[in-house]
Amino acid sequence: MYNTRVRGILIKGDKTYSEVTRDVLRPMDAPMPKWWYITAFIAISAMIWGVWGFYNTITTGIGTWGLNNNVAWGWAIINFVWWIGIGHAGTAFSIFLLILRQKWRTSINRAAEAMTIFAVMAAGLFPLIHMGRIWDGFFIFPYWNTRGPLWDNFNSPLFWDVVAISTYFTASFTFWYIGMIPDFATIRETTVSKMKKKIYGIMAFGWIGNAKSWLRFETAALLLGGLAAPLVVSVHSIVSMDFAVSVIPGWHTTIFPPYFVIGAIFSGFGMVLTLMIVLRKLYKFNDYVTDGHLDAITRILTFISLIMGSAYLIELFTAWYSGNEYELFTFMKNRVTGEYTFAYWTMLICNAIIPQFFWFKKIRKNITIVFIISLFINLGMWFERYVIVVTSLSRDFLPATWATYSPTWTEMAVFSGTLGLFVFGVIAFFRWVPTIAISEVKSVLKETTTLKSFTDED
Amino acid sequence: MKTNILGVYDDENDVMHAIDKLQEGGIKVKDVFSPFPLHHIWDKLNLTTRLPFATFIYGAVGGIATFALLYWTSVINYPLKFGGKPLNTLSFIIIMFVLTILIGTVFTALTFFIRQKLYPGKEATLPDVRTVDDKFVIVIEKDEDMDSAELTKIKSVLIETGAVEINESDVDYEA
Repeated sequence: MYNTRVRGILIKGDKTYSEVTRDVLRPMDAPMPKWWYITAFIAISAMIWGVWGFYNTITTGIGTWGLNNNVAWGWAIINFVWWIGIGHAGTAFSIFLLILRQKWRTSINRAAEAMTIFAVMAAGLFPLIHMGRIWDGFFIFPYWNTRGPLWDNFNSPLFWDVVAISTYFTASFTFWYIGMIPDFATIRETTVSKMKKKIYGIMAFGWIGNAKSWLRFETAALLLGGLAAPLVVSVHSIVSMDFAVSVIPGWHTTIFPPYFVIGAIFSGFGMVLTLMIVLRKLYKFNDYVTDGHLDAITRILTFISLIMGSAYLIELFTAWYSGNEYELFTFMKNRVTGEYTFAYWTMLICNAIIPQFFWFKKIRKNITIVFIISLFINLGMWFERYVIVVTSLSRDFLPATWATYSPTWTEMAVFSGTLGLFVFGVIAFFRWVPTIAISEVKSVLKETTTLKSFTDED
Repeated sequence: MKTNILGVYDDENDVMHAIDKLQEGGIKVKDVFSPFPLHHIWDKLNLTTRLPFATFIYGAVGGIATFALLYWTSVINYPLKFGGKPLNTLSFIIIMFVLTILIGTVFTALTFFIRQKLYPGKEATLPDVRTVDDKFVIVIEKDEDMDSAELTKIKSVLIETGAVEINESDVDYEA
């Protein structure tokens, strides 16, 4: 029931189990590298600037942002959706591929899940400060209040969002942590440092790894994975409904939920690709994150990029076919040819056209180009959210109310703060957590090394 | 205090083979320690878990409880119309769907920790610490009424099937 065949070499270099342990734990014992300090310095500086942005927003109010009556949602929502999208990678990666029994996930899923955790943390900050009066934030929870009791509007997508995001964070974190317990036990038993033994001993929860505990562990992982898998679809569907249930032209479409989910998985995989290339370069993990792994991700991205391209075309078609002049205006005048041409075409080119270069094997093999394309995907997905939020709001039904939007320093500070938080989280993960799931890699080590690699085949 | 005989192996296929041999010889395999899950062992040792059943119950109860909360708050306790929609609406499904997952996840994880007796800072006592790295250990309980012939038999089967070491351990771990 739990066993599947694999299709090629996943781990190169004929490793022994012990070598896997040493290789993955080596960077954690090595002296702190220079790049770590430099990155940490930049990330913390960005976070400090972000704290200033937060302080400014909370003490003065949302007026410090570039929002106006029409464009009531700006960078905060753009960045919120962008981060949530990136946060879909971990679950999409480890849980979808776990359910689909794709064993090549084993060397990447830990990092993808870590990325999810930090991305969702970054995302969650935006709705929090967008409330303005953050100290009244608890109003969103259904509790026995003194106003009637007046309960929440359970039919509001914004309330669904709160529930969905907090569930997503809890589920991802639980899945991630339980997956790490055996690896913490490995550190506990193999480290020479007393301090590490103590700390990882606490985090390992007394794991011993006998037959029964592995049975429960595998069952729990499969159950939690199975429970979280629908979240990949539901979270971003709900985020899309924040837009789709309104009547704003460009938002009021039924394609939004699938289009958002696919976009989220697209940006998530894009960020996974970016990070895995960095991780593999820094830690020389080429035997674990092989060219075959990166190749598999680029192939998935090519496919998803095609879906993104069709979604963009369908949006245009529906705008025309609906015969609704506001829709037509938003898409044809405003986005394709009008004021927001730059943002629209950046989105289209980065998401639907540039990843198509992955059709060429030469490009898939050139890691530098793959890395650059992955950055374009991250950029393109940011512009997608910008196009959705700003173009529709700034030019709605009444030309008299048209307004333009540009972010203020406070908004930029908040965004850079979340970027700093994410980067710091990732490098902390690189340093203090085994970046590759040791026990999972060991479980696929033997059965794969006798077969041919799937990149050597073609 | 119970003493266990530990057969230490380098390869998981040898472990599978050894368990078959031991069981054929009527020797009871008490436990197996491994650095990663060995899927066929659970059948061989007749180990089962009711965790999926528990998860189903949590999900079912969670879903119903969520509906109860939504219905009670929106229809009974404070019926307030939003946008002309009925009080008991189909869109409750979204919250029910998500909270079913949340409740299922949280309680499944808690059940896993409680049943497995895992908690932060628990002292781990391993019969052989190398099992978290690269060794596989078959544990056989040494009964007081085992005679030396039986012990020799166990050891010979372990050696035949490729055990690299045979040790004895007094470590009392919680199975």
